[in-house]
Amino acid sequence: MRRLINQHPGRAAGLALGVLPFIALLVMYVIASHLRLAENPDDKLLPALGKIASTFHSYAFEEDRRSGQLLFWVDTWASLKRIGSALVISATLGMVLAVGIGVVPRARALLSPLLGTIAMIPPLAILPVLFIVLGLEETAKIALIVLGIAPCIARDLALRVGELPKEQIIKAQTLGASTWQLILRVVLPQLWPRLIDSLRLSMGSAWLFLIAAEAIASTEGLGYRIFLVRRYLAMDVILPYVVWITLLAVLTDLALRLIRARAFRWAEPER
Amino acid sequence: MARNFSLRAFLFAVFVGAALLITQAARAAEKTSFNVAWSIYVGWMPWDYAGQSGILKKWADKYGITIKLTQMDYIESINQYTAGKFDGCVMTNMDMLTIPSAGGVDSTALIVGDYSNGNDGVVLKGAGKKMADIKGQSVNLVELSVSHYLLARGLESAGLAERDIKVVNTSDADIVSAFATPGVTAVVTWKPQLAEVSAMPKTTLVFDSSKTPGEILDLMVINSQVLKDNPKLGKALVGAWYETLGVMLAKDAKAAAALEIMAKASGTDLAGFKGQLATTFLYTTPAAAVAASKSPDLVKKMDLVRKFSFDHGLLGEGAKTVDAVGIEFPGGVTLGNKANLKLRFDPAYMQMAADGKL
Amino acid sequence: MATVTVRNVWKEYGPTVVLENVRLEIADHEFVTIIGASGCGKTTFLKMLLGMEQPSRGQILIDGVPIRPEPDPDRGVVFQRYSSFPHLTVLENVMLGLELRSSKITGKLFGTARREARAAAMAMLESVGLAHVADRHPAQLSGGMQQRMSIAQAVIRKPKILLLDEPFGALDPGVTADMHELILRLWEENRMTIFMVSHDIQESFQLGTRLLTFDKLRVDPQSPEAYGASVTYDMPLTRKTKPKTLPS
Repeated sequence: MRRLINQHPGRAAGLALGVLPFIALLVMYVIASHLRLAENPDDKLLPALGKIASTFHSYAFEEDRRSGQLLFWVDTWASLKRIGSALVISATLGMVLAVGIGVVPRARALLSPLLGTIAMIPPLAILPVLFIVLGLEETAKIALIVLGIAPCIARDLALRVGELPKEQIIKAQTLGASTWQLILRVVLPQLWPRLIDSLRLSMGSAWLFLIAAEAIASTEGLGYRIFLVRRYLAMDVILPYVVWITLLAVLTDLALRLIRARAFRWAEPER
Repeated sequence: MARNFSLRAFLFAVFVGAALLITQAARAAEKTSFNVAWSIYVGWMPWDYAGQSGILKKWADKYGITIKLTQMDYIESINQYTAGKFDGCVMTNMDMLTIPSAGGVDSTALIVGDYSNGNDGVVLKGAGKKMADIKGQSVNLVELSVSHYLLARGLESAGLAERDIKVVNTSDADIVSAFATPGVTAVVTWKPQLAEVSAMPKTTLVFDSSKTPGEILDLMVINSQVLKDNPKLGKALVGAWYETLGVMLAKDAKAAAALEIMAKASGTDLAGFKGQLATTFLYTTPAAAVAASKSPDLVKKMDLVRKFSFDHGLLGEGAKTVDAVGIEFPGGVTLGNKANLKLRFDPAYMQMAADGKL
Repeated sequence: MATVTVRNVWKEYGPTVVLENVRLEIADHEFVTIIGASGCGKTTFLKMLLGMEQPSRGQILIDGVPIRPEPDPDRGVVFQRYSSFPHLTVLENVMLGLELRSSKITGKLFGTARREARAAAMAMLESVGLAHVADRHPAQLSGGMQQRMSIAQAVIRKPKILLLDEPFGALDPGVTADMHELILRLWEENRMTIFMVSHDIQESFQLGTRLLTFDKLRVDPQSPEAYGASVTYDMPLTRKTKPKTLPS
């Protein structure tokens, strides 16, 4: 018998092992739900899979009685717009700050302490202030997400700029590069793949802040809906929404990974 | 193979064990220790005082039981009660109907404590406004809460409907700061936020719960089965409640001290707390509470509440009509499905208090 | 023309003296090889020529003009490692110098200018024997090929001076003979003045027209940093056009 560390599952076995926990959780849920419903048919804590399916169907494919909209898609689109805008703004802000701090010593002296401090502010604590300053509309919600993830992205990318071998920077200067040309042709192109990495790592936080912002003052959105029905323990709404958010996060991560691999082949590690 | 068998057995044990762990349904049986949840609101502060001053313990000891009071976030406490973690919980009549009762948890309003008599209100920006001026505005409030109900009644009173305004769900902790932003022009909330918002310059309180007396009730709700199996719980709680009220409402130094304690515990000062009490119609004696429970008015008010709840889909996805959740009143009067009575007003224990039989 | 004058150059870091009173006159088209023990200021000297460091005292002049206190196209450089740009192909790496010269705002060339730059870069690649890997990325090249590219990258800008910091130190011995041939050929074709720091004494004798040895003139065991290094040997070597074949 080989040591455990040297026992590799084959492809099929590996796949089966990966799926096993999900199936196990599903089975556990069904059993638990069944037991609860046997005692109380109106129980809301662990609704039957069938009930979840029919509730989801009504949210996604039947018009809401009061607004005439397909709530699920309205919510999805609203949340995606917010998080999408926030990601674009954070990426831009992060890149600009990182390049400034990483390349220009004066900018580093000016901005680095400020950025470090802002990165430490707990965004959820400052949320009420954001609302007061920016109002309760989209701006404050997007600002919350940006405040939460842009400093991390900026600092991560700034570190990456610092990691660029000094030899490259010197070489570029001996080839006649001005600071601007250096940024444009040496620094920025090498930052793009790292930006994608940084965005992927920030996605979890971005969703967190989005949901928190939507919980406070909103009229639609995935986080809004979850918090609204939370009062009524409507797990038949909350569970599909949570699964959907997870799915969206997974898909976004996958998309980013693919973009990185296709567009920046040179950055992939040697296999 | 021995290895496969033990693996399968192990997995099976894990499934079953986990499933059992998840399902902690309320076992209906006699017991001696109970959990009751409460949250910070003027109508329920007496519970905190009862716990702190030892009044509750005294009554619990009298019947040989222990009662544990736990303070939590309001909605969280109701959800935990619905999930079976608490035997009793304080809540409004509307939340009782839409959360535990609509969730199939048969609940009894053990104590009818008070009704909101101005504690909830609609405030508009601008001086000299009327309810009708709300037309076309976005209104910030906790969607689907009693504030929403009050708004609906207010709109009705001005001949408007919900489609004449836009509801913006806003967490109650942020209502005050939201109102401070220029974009927000109308809010519905309760005290103490209501007091702060009304105190801002150039605002008008255009509607409040004093115009809807008896519709927003604050109750102590107990799981019906638990109560049935453990009448001692009911007696202890009711006894403690009315003794506490007695202490609070006396005009002596002890009362002043008690009010001071309650004010501090609810995050305000004595003046603020008295301001909240002023707009709370307490049923100060058990007899008053019993009378309110037996009154046909209660049936009319609950009818309004259940209609609002049904119209907003709060009686559950499966509720086809407003009768889906049955409500039982004293004397065999019912509203809704008699075969599905989940919300009960049972003044039996309050009656015992009134008769001095506790 | 690229004559280099090093006039009474000292380099100190606080109390530590690294280089003491270095004085040199280097004629045009010299191949200067620099050897010396570790820590004796060879690399510091090269960095000062490059403009990465500034002398604490004294001056360095090229063609009678003091060098700028930062790297510039007058002085090309090839480091031992990392001087290539991983995000560009080999061709783009070599084109970069031409693009940076002509296109100040976007750093890229378009149309005719681009085609001309490409052609020049391809010619350069052919002359160093890398035309067949023009579309690969540096990470896909061997160490020797990367260094050839790095040299091509520097030489295409026709710098007055080429600085080589132990350029062949990380390569296999079998490859270095080719590299020697290459560098000597480019030196002839482009009439540059080359400064090469090396750990390999044999290589220094083979390639150089002038050998400089850096060493500490005085050492005080009590305070080793008190005295710096200087040029202890300055040896003209026979001018060559081809490397001597290695004794078998």
